[in-house]
Amino acid sequence: MSDNPLAVEVAGMALPNPIIAASGTFGFGPEYAPYVNLARLGAVAAKGVSWDPWPGNPPPRVWETAAGLLNSIGLQNPGVEVFCREDLPFLRRAQTRVIANVIGRTIDEYARVVERLEREAGIDAIEVNISCPNVKEGGISFGQDPDHAAAVTRAVRAVTRRPVIVKLSPNVSDPVAIAQAVAAAGADALSAINTVIGMAIDLKRRRPALGAVTGGLSGPAIKPIALRVVWEVAQSVHIPIIGIGGIESAEDVVEFLMAGATAVMMGTVTFRDPGRMEAVIEALPATLRALGFECVRDAIGAAQGFCEEARP
Amino acid sequence: MPPARMVVCIERREVVARDHVELYFRHPALTAAVPGQFAHILTEGTLRRPLSFSRLDPASGLAAVLFRVVGRGTAWLAARREGEPLDLLGPLGRGFPPPEPDRPWCLVGGGVGIPPLFAAWARWKASLRAPITVIAGARTREAVVMVEDFRAGGAEPWVTTDDGSLGEAGTVLGPLRRWLASHPQGQVYACGPTPMLAAVAAAVQGHGPCYLGLEQRMGCGVGACLACVVPAADRATWPPWRRVCCDGPVFLAEEVRLE
Ligand SMILES: Cc1cc2nc3c(=O)[nH]c(=O)nc-3n(C[C@H](O)[C@H](O)[C@H](O)COP(=O)(O)OP(=O)(O)OC[C@H]3O[C@@H](n4cnc5c(N)ncnc54)[C@H](O)[C@@H]3O)c2cc1C
Ligand SMILES: Cc1cc2nc3c(=O)[nH]c(=O)nc-3n(C[C@H](O)[C@H](O)[C@H](O)COP(=O)(O)O)c2cc1C
Ligand code: FES
Repeated sequence: MSDNPLAVEVAGMALPNPIIAASGTFGFGPEYAPYVNLARLGAVAAKGVSWDPWPGNPPPRVWETAAGLLNSIGLQNPGVEVFCREDLPFLRRAQTRVIANVIGRTIDEYARVVERLEREAGIDAIEVNISCPNVKEGGISFGQDPDHAAAVTRAVRAVTRRPVIVKLSPNVSDPVAIAQAVAAAGADALSAINTVIGMAIDLKRRRPALGAVTGGLSGPAIKPIALRVVWEVAQSVHIPIIGIGGIESAEDVVEFLMAGATAVMMGTVTFRDPGRMEAVIEALPATLRALGFECVRDAIGAAQGFCEEARP
Repeated sequence: MPPARMVVCIERREVVARDHVELYFRHPALTAAVPGQFAHILTEGTLRRPLSFSRLDPASGLAAVLFRVVGRGTAWLAARREGEPLDLLGPLGRGFPPPEPDRPWCLVGGGVGIPPLFAAWARWKASLRAPITVIAGARTREAVVMVEDFRAGGAEPWVTTDDGSLGEAGTVLGPLRRWLASHPQGQVYACGPTPMLAAVAAAVQGHGPCYLGLEQRMGCGVGACLACVVPAADRATWPPWRRVCCDGPVFLAEEVRLE
């Protein structure tokens, strides 16, 4: 391995550092190019793409909450064909690692999107967002049922040679069951968590604040939930985990690493501070050293040991 | 100028009316922004706050934002002092196009929609050969901001208030309809609350060009998150929305549907 203390490997993907821009918060890359050096990031996860264009939800689509953000964008995207033609070329040139995020309403749609992406160069991994409504099963999300989640994973696994990362939803009673099911179905890594479902009321207008009524909560408010999911999943599967949820500082990153994550994604914080991901990358070596770690790899799962010792 | 993240010093802070504050900062490059563009300003809270430029004066090198205190972010901004730094992204979005010099020009502002129109008027008034009319309205007298600034520059705004506490009682629609009757092919630039803009667009339909400065709740402010959408007038073509932060905030009235 290199002597870069921040270098990590996630499912065969070599990253110069463990900081990844979270899907849906970084567009397709060019939007933040005036403010962020994409090459400096560990990787960029692009906005989720489906087979056909999806229109997304009616506005308002965001609402600020205490220490967080509710969003109901509704996975608006131009479809995989337009993504390949118009958006991927920029990401390819950006000299960063590219994670394509994939969505679908049927298992077949997920597979078709991934098959289409397989023809394109410049994609380092596929992230499968299983928080989409499953139209064939009455709209409950693929991420809420271990069998459906495994079926999507298998279908995607069968059509790509690239690493497959499955993104877990926290909106389930047993995330470990989902994690085990998708790991057994061939996922190379997991990312956790997607947003936590919630809502707000607009007092003045006497109606739900979001056009779609409910939305996904992100930001510091969900960090403890995310850490708990990463912690539990890390104890029950043997594939790498990418931690996501409210990460804003190098200390936050190390918390996720110690809970068992190999890398992290940062999302909502970029809206207020586009430079934060780079600042965290800058601060991470000193933060690790101050905590007694020589490199990122040393910190991964460091808190899990304590758990073993504490057991009777 | 291309957008950038910058830290600017508050050079002047003025309470222009109850709950209305204007902050000035010296930034010679920023004054090249187009009226109607906005700054996404860091305050407390999870998100930045979008505010339009009220002044963009290359001669003095001063730019400004004028806002009403409506919540946590604007309250924090209103409490800043002269000399303190502000972290902003800008200039963002597409501003107003330069007005056609030979077409009568009407600027219609409601409340804190008046400041970006002041910036537009100040930038382009000397380029007009046709007459210019300013209509400024609000709920009540102290919310009709920048009237003195227009006067100092040689314009006499037609003022309306919903409660009749200043100028004509009623909304900006009254004076606008009268202006349209005598200038049926005039050009209209409007900014204000969405219901007002919907009414302005309906009144101007069938007349000259009408540009609207819209508001929507934003996330990133730079086109990445797709939060700030408004419905496109033509929903048959992709995408069925327009992003206020980067396709706008200024739109031709025919381009969007205001609900
Ligand atoms: C392009 C644009 C230009 C604007 N220019 C001005 C201006 O020149 N002067 C002025 O006084 N106001 C302007 N506004 C409205 C201003 O952004 C809001 O009043 C402000 O964000 C409220 O923040 P708050 O924290 O005080 O209120 P809160 O209600 O506590 O804010 C909560 C959240 O809602 C958002 N929000 C609340 N009201 C609005 C609104 N009307 N539009 C968009 N987002 C909103 C906030 O940004 C924040 O994310 C503009 C809005 C847009 C979109
Ligand atoms: C506006 C917005 C849009 C998002 N869109 C997507 C998406 O398209 N696909 C996806 O897998 N996750 C999406 N997410 C979830 C984020 O990738 C991330 O999992 C979540 O926001 C938690 O991280 P954070 O607290 O750092 O933002 C979105 C989040 C936000 C705030
Ligand atoms: S606010 Fe993010 S796209 Fe407009």
